[in-house]
Amino acid sequence: MSQSTLSSSASGPRPGENTWIWLIKIATGPLLVIVLLLHFIANHYFGSMSSGLMTYEDVIKYFQNPIIPAIEILFLITVVTHSLIGLRGIILDMNPSRNTLKIVTWLLTILGVSSVVYGIWLALTIASKGS
Amino acid sequence: MNNTRNQPSARKFWSWFMPVGRQAGSWAFALNRITAIGLTFYLFLHLGVLSLLAQGPGAYDDFLVLTENPFIKLGELAVVAAAILHGLNGIRIILTSFGVGVTRQKQLFYGFMLISVLVILIFTARMY
Repeated sequence: MSQSTLSSSASGPRPGENTWIWLIKIATGPLLVIVLLLHFIANHYFGSMSSGLMTYEDVIKYFQNPIIPAIEILFLITVVTHSLIGLRGIILDMNPSRNTLKIVTWLLTILGVSSVVYGIWLALTIASKGS
Repeated sequence: MNNTRNQPSARKFWSWFMPVGRQAGSWAFALNRITAIGLTFYLFLHLGVLSLLAQGPGAYDDFLVLTENPFIKLGELAVVAAAILHGLNGIRIILTSFGVGVTRQKQLFYGFMLISVLVILIFTARMY
């Protein structure tokens, strides 16, 4: 059964899930909890909107600190990797055939790589708007 | 019997959403899956919306006006709540995966859920 149940034994990778891939998902999880919390605080506490959200001007100003685009890019890579490995794990639980799993893995890899490339371009574009 | 169990099954997927006859472990499992799917969908939606930043202040700030709509705000709060629930439930899974608190998973689950509710309430107070 899945690692999410409250069984009386420790859990690990699912059948068909590579241990390294499982470890990447496990390692990116706690990192994401911290970075995501910081992301929520930055976006919902310090923006100019009444709800705390950042306006365009706020975002451009925020991205002028070079550490911010770097953190956002690291966050993007981590969150995309974690979510797509997780999605593959959910699909694995439905016991797909070997061929289906191969196609799914390729599609998720393409989606992940293109999302990261797009996100890096977007972060650099936003950072360059203030200069 | 094992052959039957290992067949591809959409029924397994839909069973995550069934609220009847569940125990804590089953709720934890369903919560983890449902929030994971929701957050993955939102991640790509969010990346798409952020492209408005590349179009300039008009496009992005016009969109932000929409976020004042109570339904959109509720959706936004749902995303924050899902992330907190998924994150803290995930920490529990990691702890037990490495042998920490394996015999006290139920208590760990309830503890992390309590912390989640408190953090969600803090964000709710700020957003409203």
